Amino acid sequence: MSATAVAQRLKLPRARGRDAHARREAWTRRLPLLPALLFTIIVTQIPFLLTLFYSLFSWNLAKPGSPHWIGLQNYGAVFTDPVFFAALLHTIEITFISVLIATVFGLGLAVLLDRKFIGRGIVRTMLISPFLVMPAAAALLWKTTMLDPVYGIVNWVIGWFGISPVAFVSVHPLGSVIATVVWQWTPFEMLILLAGLQSQDRGVLEAARVDGASALASFREITLPHLRSYLELGVLLGAIYVVNTFDAIYMITQGGPGTATTNLPFYIYQRAFEGFDIGQAAALGVVTVVGTILVATVALRTMFSIFIQDNTARA
Amino acid sequence: MAGITYEHVSCRYPGSDTLSVEDLSLEIPDGEFMVLVGPSGSGKSTALRLLAGLEQLSEGRIDIDGRDVSGVDARDRDIAMVFQNYALYPNKTVGENIGFALKMQGVDRAERDKRVREVASMLAIEEFLGRKPRQLSGGQRQRVAMGRAIIRRPKAFLMDEPLSNLDAKLRVQTRVQIAELQQRLATTTVYVTHDQGEAMTLGSRVAVLKDGTLQQCAAPRELYENPVNAFVAGFIGLPQMNLIRLPLSDGRVRLSDEDLPLPAAVVRDATQRGAKEVIVGVRPEHVTVGESSSQGVAAEVVLVESLGADSYVHASLAGTDATFVARTEGYDSRQRGSNVRLRVDPQRIYGFDAATEERLGVSEHQVDHDASQPAPASVSR
Amino acid sequence: MATVTGTISHRRPRQPLGAAVRARLGAIAWGSVAWLAAIIFFFPVFWMVLTSFKPESAAYTSPPKFVFSPTLSQYKQVFDAGMGPFLANSAISTVISVLLVLVLATPAAYALSMRPVEKWRDVLFFFISTKMLPVVAAIVPIYLAVRDVGMLDSIPTLIVLYTAMNLPIAVWMMRSFFLEVPGEILEAARMDGADLRHELSEVVLPVVAPGLAATALICAIFSWNEFFFAVTLTSIRAATMPVFLVGFISSEGLYWAKLAAAATLASVPVLIAGWIAQRQLVRGLSMGAIK
Repeated sequence: MSATAVAQRLKLPRARGRDAHARREAWTRRLPLLPALLFTIIVTQIPFLLTLFYSLFSWNLAKPGSPHWIGLQNYGAVFTDPVFFAALLHTIEITFISVLIATVFGLGLAVLLDRKFIGRGIVRTMLISPFLVMPAAAALLWKTTMLDPVYGIVNWVIGWFGISPVAFVSVHPLGSVIATVVWQWTPFEMLILLAGLQSQDRGVLEAARVDGASALASFREITLPHLRSYLELGVLLGAIYVVNTFDAIYMITQGGPGTATTNLPFYIYQRAFEGFDIGQAAALGVVTVVGTILVATVALRTMFSIFIQDNTARA
Repeated sequence: MAGITYEHVSCRYPGSDTLSVEDLSLEIPDGEFMVLVGPSGSGKSTALRLLAGLEQLSEGRIDIDGRDVSGVDARDRDIAMVFQNYALYPNKTVGENIGFALKMQGVDRAERDKRVREVASMLAIEEFLGRKPRQLSGGQRQRVAMGRAIIRRPKAFLMDEPLSNLDAKLRVQTRVQIAELQQRLATTTVYVTHDQGEAMTLGSRVAVLKDGTLQQCAAPRELYENPVNAFVAGFIGLPQMNLIRLPLSDGRVRLSDEDLPLPAAVVRDATQRGAKEVIVGVRPEHVTVGESSSQGVAAEVVLVESLGADSYVHASLAGTDATFVARTEGYDSRQRGSNVRLRVDPQRIYGFDAATEERLGVSEHQVDHDASQPAPASVSR
Repeated sequence: MATVTGTISHRRPRQPLGAAVRARLGAIAWGSVAWLAAIIFFFPVFWMVLTSFKPESAAYTSPPKFVFSPTLSQYKQVFDAGMGPFLANSAISTVISVLLVLVLATPAAYALSMRPVEKWRDVLFFFISTKMLPVVAAIVPIYLAVRDVGMLDSIPTLIVLYTAMNLPIAVWMMRSFFLEVPGEILEAARMDGADLRHELSEVVLPVVAPGLAATALICAIFSWNEFFFAVTLTSIRAATMPVFLVGFISSEGLYWAKLAAAATLASVPVLIAGWIAQRQLVRGLSMGAIK
């Protein structure tokens, strides 16, 4: 006779046993998750909490004396700091322009790659290379071999069209940084949009053709709406990565001339490692984090909707 | 409203020398419902797609309404297509799906909406006009796909296995609706299916394809009664015709321990060809099952399928490993293992050349396998 | 029986030349544009590799030189300048952090997909949120903590940080790979008498093995290319390739060929890895949001 039957016969209470079993079961499920979870919490959350903590102190490693409490004064300094606003502006500029151009280029390249032609595989491999080159290396190469006023390739090419050489890095520092970032991130956008293009149902495109749609009409009416969620994903993710641009600025302009190309990540770095101002750097960090949380919440909600849509949509 | 002609059409698989469609010639007059049927790989879908302009022909030409369309792109051929998995535009509503072709033609909004509603009511899908395809069931999507085709009043309807994704009951219902619709609209229709039952019930003429070549094109009855080779004989008709390869000696074939009476014309033809073997065919409804005490070929019952009104008795012929299927009336209660005797109606035996599988005994009549003309109303054997 | 009439000619009609030729020309034009775009985008990479084989005199010229006598001296110089340890540090920190990530992420991903924890959505959201927040913001306490523990300029520090940096991506990717294992296979295995251990080793693992490789690849790329932590937390002993490149900033244009050699060496491993696993690249970067 089964255990449950015996229990029933003896009218024993079963509730407690079942609870214990359920709890044990829940813990065996949680166990594999714990190492990764704990590791992440310790290495990522504690520093942020500490950043919050430090931001309430006046603390400069170069000045003698231990840190002392000043409450929210650091934040006051941040919001009256012209460099902060310059850095904020530059962050937005770099992100917006780079992601926009990279997405447009990426779409064009993805459309090109969506059709068969000789050597398509090689072309694709060539096109993703900018993204694979070490960003720090790429930045240096652009600064020197590409954009140099005398010996750079870009000036050599525009010379064919009769345009006189430009000292890009000194005269257009932001543009130089943006050019490097666009070059690096276009393949990323291209791959995402290519995945979108290739996930189209070929039958639907044939149906549009039979229904009399020209190639352009088909792209406008069928392909673009399909690509919408991929475009959103590409732009959001690209923005999140590009907002944190550090390598290019460090290597090409060091934030200069002056503060012309300083963005928020680089400014925080400067305050911490060149100004040794822990309190201020921490406050800047908190402000950046809060701003990013706001944007990220919106981003994740959209991303999750993409995710949910994908999972439930096609029957 | 137009006639369609395939003239010696061939299509090569991309990057290979094998032909997916080989030397297909077919004439489909205006208003006809032509069914292309065959097993998978027979080239029927390719033939349809060539007509649509979605594939390129390697040889030959296709005419629609008397005009050579070989160089014309799919979007300019004025034909409508219903795809196997419907291929509805996922980001558009049902109404927008149906009206899309009209939008491409530049028809203005008001006129478009009017015609969309007309078609929707014809197909009983008005309540779905605002919904997206993913919110519809399979049957509803199928009707939207039909609506998309109907609204265009095209020269021809092309349908690529439109019923295969529906459940059995819905399939039968929709089949009837398609037939009615086509009769009402009188538009030339080319319909592809692998289901010979669909082909027989829908087509005014049926073209049987195998491995890219046309086997026979004729009215359903003609295919059933006068198959031109063993393949067509075996493909058309369910359950399949009993086909068995037997040695021919002295103009006679022996089935198990009995002599089988072949029609004289068949024997004459076979002897003329010097054939040593003949493929003998007889349909289940022309095989009678009798008790072991009666006349006929000895056999042992292997399986009895009772469908209610009819039963099919599968019996293994004594001394061979061949099984014949016989149709009996009503509910057959014979048991597996019981001994029976099978008798074959001598008027209904078909003979096929063992080497070429061509039908024997028809050489007195002219036959053209490039059968392009519609069958005349009366048929003589 | 049907009879023959002669309305259809039995001569084979001429091939439809027009359409086929036009299609061919269109394809060639399309391909040409694609190739042009590829060449333009790839050119800086090509130029990097080309320049690395130049003697300095040929690297710093106007107009730029495409023909020259190649030499390996730049590579030799770069190694002589002490690049070896940097390369080794990069390799060690990358390999170990990737292994660590896999060890931590795989069970976690399992717990979020196959036998999910109750609050799996929240946990997933949490992991992703750590990726969203700018690392720079937390560098201050990290630097201080690392300094106070005496772990500045040490490889284990990098390993720990790289692992934390890659965990969210790895968990997301592995989870989406686990989700791809068809439920039916698991049920069939259970029917066949497999216990959990066998279910994992015989059924699940073979199916997700390519996914493991892809995840490892993505994490390796990010670890190898990582610049910020390397620059702020290391100086001599644990410095990685990106830090080595920093030394070239103030070159004043004298050592372009040498820079190119260093850049090439720094980029080649990831270039090759990325070329091999292009599809996995997208999945990792978009954190598995694209199937």
